[in-house]
Amino acid sequence: MFKNEEMEINLGPQHPSTHGVLRVKLRLDGETVTKCTPVIGYLHRGVEKICENKTYFQGQVWTDRLDYVAAISNNLGWAEGVEKLFGIEVPRRAKYIRTLLTEQNRLASHLLWLATHALDIGAMTVFLYAFREREYLLDLFEAFCGARLTTTAFRIGGLREDLPPGFIKDAQVFQDRFLHCLYEYEELLTENRIWKKRTVGVAKLNAEDCIALGVTGPVLRAAGVPYDIRKAFPNAAYAEMDFEIPTRTEADTYARYLVRLAEMRQSHRIIQQCLDGLPEGPVMAKIPKILRSEVNEIYHPIEAPKGELGYYFVSEKGGTMPYRMHVRAPSFVNLQALPKMIEGRLLADVIAAIGTLDVVLGEIDR
Amino acid sequence: MAEPLEPQAPEAPEAPAGPYVYDYLAAPNRQVVLPKTVPLPSLRTYQAEVAAAAAADEAKWQKQLADFEVAKAKAEAEGKDAPKPPVRAVPRKDDNDMKTPWPTEAKAADLLKLQELLGDKVEEIFEQAGERVCQVKKEAILEALKVCRDEASLKYEMLADQSATHYPAAKDFAFSIVYHLTSVSRHQRLRLRVLVPEGFLPDSACSLYPSANWMEREIYDMLGIRFANHPDMTRILCPEDWEGYPLRKEYPTVGLGQRDIDFRDDRGGVLNRLAMVKAGQMGINLKQPKAE
Repeated sequence: MFKNEEMEINLGPQHPSTHGVLRVKLRLDGETVTKCTPVIGYLHRGVEKICENKTYFQGQVWTDRLDYVAAISNNLGWAEGVEKLFGIEVPRRAKYIRTLLTEQNRLASHLLWLATHALDIGAMTVFLYAFREREYLLDLFEAFCGARLTTTAFRIGGLREDLPPGFIKDAQVFQDRFLHCLYEYEELLTENRIWKKRTVGVAKLNAEDCIALGVTGPVLRAAGVPYDIRKAFPNAAYAEMDFEIPTRTEADTYARYLVRLAEMRQSHRIIQQCLDGLPEGPVMAKIPKILRSEVNEIYHPIEAPKGELGYYFVSEKGGTMPYRMHVRAPSFVNLQALPKMIEGRLLADVIAAIGTLDVVLGEIDR
Repeated sequence: MAEPLEPQAPEAPEAPAGPYVYDYLAAPNRQVVLPKTVPLPSLRTYQAEVAAAAAADEAKWQKQLADFEVAKAKAEAEGKDAPKPPVRAVPRKDDNDMKTPWPTEAKAADLLKLQELLGDKVEEIFEQAGERVCQVKKEAILEALKVCRDEASLKYEMLADQSATHYPAAKDFAFSIVYHLTSVSRHQRLRLRVLVPEGFLPDSACSLYPSANWMEREIYDMLGIRFANHPDMTRILCPEDWEGYPLRKEYPTVGLGQRDIDFRDDRGGVLNRLAMVKAGQMGINLKQPKAE
């Protein structure tokens, strides 16, 4: 006789394809997932509490450690949030350089996503190709601020230094060859039969569910909602940039892959516009050495590679440290959608679903 | 020729006082300094502060004028030169690129509409730093969220963020809970705020916005606010048996949950066993009792 009972297994927390220390409790009926419960918190460091005891200048260092593959986006959110809190106006050149670096970081983040997502599903070659380009970008970050991953790239009020000599030339070298690199990835994956079998129609999440669950970023845009904070609430120099919001309507893993590749093309366009139209001028606003706040509270959202990244600050009168700091991490909110995406689907699709959500546990657990 | 100096024995360094393990209980950041003010942004409070400051400034100026009159009369009576008339102090000029965002009157149509729909359930509406804030009564939060989501002219479909702040210095409340709503179709943002005392169970927003599920669990985990009618009110980031709520102001940054491990302790007896093995290889029997 066959046994007919459900089995409960743990996926993670030590599992290479969960991209960190994510544990997913799965209840299986044969190979079908009947219930899925993500368990998080293995990487909790209490960044919000720590930042309440650091000054506005010191706190930015901690944002590198949230989403460690897109540290510059985190830095941008922190710096702009604090500037909004104090009403600091940043010089135009600094805004352009911020936009330039953030977009390069978006490319680096999407390249890492492409590499690991393809590796999870079984395509090894893309990993090597994508990391080749990512290394070049990380070298550029190292030239700018001395660090590859934990960048702390910006300062409150602008930038510490202007671009180093030769940066624009090196960035242009990357610009000239990157479109061909994208073509290489697409040639390996887009029409690949195995890739399409593993991704088309897998882990669907329609637009209503996305909005109800607060899911943002490429996952929302792959469901056909053209919502991008760079267009909806422009920050940095995005209001002056000419770019489009790529959307798809299929709302599956394959559509998200296409949306992210199209987004990389748009990032490439924005970087080119920044390099061509870089204005002259200072890169740092005039601000006091010690920032003393008034009573205020702000929520500043930016479009990080994973979705809406928001910083919520509450400041007290005369304080040099935030009274309360809260990070709205895109991965944290997006991961809530995982049960909705995979319940009733096969076990192998769980790996594809975790990959397509592009979660980073550093910012989920904070 | 001078005699060579005799080498002097170096003074023995003093043994450090206290235990080898860092004493977390005595660490300076183990001591918690509770905040004395309530930094709750509010137009009403701001206006009251501005009025009080203006009144104080005016009173000071009137006193200066009166003093001057007295001094002038005194100088005239004594036949001396008249004293210098006082100069009213102007605020110091700031040449930084900073413009502090103060709270202003609500002008946005969304806020006015919300006040019209909710009536006296709205406690305060204002704008600050380009952000719209609507503070509602704590019992009416679910109704306010429902209006924001379903009203055709508001249509805030997404609950982007939910968070809370601890105010230990406040008298009639302990926490503020904020809801950051986003209208994906209209590209608008709104912040709803409620003030809740300790022990009050605010209604969970999960029935209207499913994204509130994990955010409310995080608030419970970090600040200890329980939500009524929440499907799964458990800790999310900390372990289930964690004591205390880390983001409350009375919680120290160092100390709680910290494990003091002295690695010199051979707690499992591992070092002892390794020493036995090593000694055995060298032909020494450590177990052999010494002859008396």
